[in-house]
Amino acid sequence: MAAGEAARKVAVNPIQALGRSTLAAVRMVGSVGVFAARGTAAALSPPWFPGQLLRQFMAIGFFSLPVVGLTAVFTGAALALNIFTGGGRFNAEQVMPQIVALGITRELGPVLAALMLAGRVSAAIAAEIGAMRATEQIDAMRTLSTDPFRYLVGPRLLAGVLMLPLLTAVADTIGVAGGWLVATRVLEFNPTIYIRNTIDFLESWDIVSGLIKAAVFGFIVALMGCYHGYNASGGARGVGRATTHAVVSSAILIFASDYLLTTFFTHMS
Amino acid sequence: MTQIPKLAWKGVTKRFGDRAVLDGLDLSVAPGRSLVIIGGSGQGKSVTIKTALGLMRPEAGQIELDGENIVGLTESQRRKLFSRIGVLFQGAALFDSLSIWENIAFRLLNADGVPRKEARERAIEALEQVRLDPAVADRFPSELSGGMQKRAGLARAVVAQPEILFFDEPTTGLDPITAAAINELISHQVRRLGSTAISITHDLASAQTIGDEIAMLHGGKIVWRGPAADLRTTDNPYVRQFVEGRPDGPIAHAV
Amino acid sequence: MALREQWAETAMGVVVLALAGGFLTYSLSVGGVSTKRGNYEISAKFGEAGSLAAGAAVSVAGVKVGTVSQVTLEPKTYLAVAKLSIDPTVKLPADSTAKITSDGLLGGAHIAIAPGASLEDLKPGGEIENTQGAVDIFGLIGSVIRPQGGGSTESTPAPAPSATQPAESY
Repeated sequence: MAAGEAARKVAVNPIQALGRSTLAAVRMVGSVGVFAARGTAAALSPPWFPGQLLRQFMAIGFFSLPVVGLTAVFTGAALALNIFTGGGRFNAEQVMPQIVALGITRELGPVLAALMLAGRVSAAIAAEIGAMRATEQIDAMRTLSTDPFRYLVGPRLLAGVLMLPLLTAVADTIGVAGGWLVATRVLEFNPTIYIRNTIDFLESWDIVSGLIKAAVFGFIVALMGCYHGYNASGGARGVGRATTHAVVSSAILIFASDYLLTTFFTHMS
Repeated sequence: MTQIPKLAWKGVTKRFGDRAVLDGLDLSVAPGRSLVIIGGSGQGKSVTIKTALGLMRPEAGQIELDGENIVGLTESQRRKLFSRIGVLFQGAALFDSLSIWENIAFRLLNADGVPRKEARERAIEALEQVRLDPAVADRFPSELSGGMQKRAGLARAVVAQPEILFFDEPTTGLDPITAAAINELISHQVRRLGSTAISITHDLASAQTIGDEIAMLHGGKIVWRGPAADLRTTDNPYVRQFVEGRPDGPIAHAV
Repeated sequence: MALREQWAETAMGVVVLALAGGFLTYSLSVGGVSTKRGNYEISAKFGEAGSLAAGAAVSVAGVKVGTVSQVTLEPKTYLAVAKLSIDPTVKLPADSTAKITSDGLLGGAHIAIAPGASLEDLKPGGEIENTQGAVDIFGLIGSVIRPQGGGSTESTPAPAPSATQPAESY
């Protein structure tokens, strides 16, 4: 009898575990949704904290420029080389500028900039807010009659949504420049024709769709940082966990939403 | 004759998992009096304060401020209440990215809409009240020692002249001299403002300095309550074991 | 954050912005993004527009002088009407020819204008009379590989382009 019971327990437990983790995942989706709604409401309604918003613009936007610029220039250059190779198989090397520009503005600009921000900004936000949670600063803020969603979360969400499109625009420009540099120095393209072809080919929707993606990604990056930091528990280890979770969940959501948005945008045009 | 207590916990129960940290807690504080709650570690002293502040929600019971239940208020209702309350957290909980004066004047700047110049003046006044050098005003929390941070936290709690003050382990982690200074500051501020004060501590010297009355929390309930002077003379076995610092007795090893 | 670190990061940010801005300015000046101000409009009708679309370049002797602003179908004659927006400093003789051509097999369709000899210039709103539509490359290849009906000397559906033919050729 004992053996039978034991056997049944072993069989049921993996299923129980799977069920529990599925439920936990569903609960988390709900929890993130509620958090996002509260944060967005706080961001869009008064009272606002312009000082905090400006600080976040600088932290999320301006100080991310170096890493975004570096990512963009190397990606643009590498992409140009690869598209040139591919085009060569069709005797169509001449279309390389156009394809590179399309790839960068529609996909690589927004996605890579967002991933760089996921690593840099999302982690920083989770660490900062997580540490505040661990040292009771968030509780203290509430006792000082200030809503942490308005003071901490709202400005970061707004900054994410507004700054990442700007960063993406810079990334697009520098990415094309990277391709141009490689094309003109290494692949012997004519500098003027390269740029002409790029500009003539690009449609405004190519660029705009990339910027819309960037706004969505910016929201995701800020949201994941805030959510995981706000709900950090367990002292220093908890803060570390929150940081990791923020980066990983940002990245996953960026890829998932990128696919959905790309599909949607492709159908639209 | 019966005065409405300033703050009263009535039958408050708070559970974590299946452990009842507070089990039908009944406690009240008269206006203008200073109550100190003592007890072993992990006995629910912090939880008691956090339920009163609305940072935790009890499973059962009421908490009354001036006779009105404050459990289950919405955030915006509670925010109005907070303008009458000041809290000194255990680690001072100063905001790392703001200067000391911006910390002290945080409520004034962000909730009350006080102009920066005036807020800074009031913050510096508060600094003087807690005997900190005004030069500290522009420094950042990480540059201050633990004792100085606690003073700054105290300044932040009293700057808006609150009716009720909460002190969460005000002297924990401080050397005896600094602890004595903090105790003295606390009782001075409480008397100056005429506020009702509720403190939690396991520092007996602190309890007797800042408290008019002392209550002991054990097993989720109050097991003794009396004037501060009676702390060392009472017969209550829990208090005796605590005061004498004996490992054996009615208070079993909790940790 | 230490002040020196902040200055370094700020400087880096400014450098990146400057580089991006510089490249953008260079691109726009070189890419010939015409300001459209002052351009005058003329039209040309074709029997076959091919892949000509709005935004395509209009060039004379290989130099871009304007863009195609619109390609529409004329309902009565079933001809493709292209509106061309031309740089005001470029004057075209009234008997110029417009031809739809492309850069290579994969290049996009654009309009090449060969100037005529007339002393009169095309006025705004004028029309280029002599046009030649897009050549169907694949049709050409197909008809050479598989000649229609009797004999390979029959006129092929798309005769060799000629710049001075007055009527449109298919």
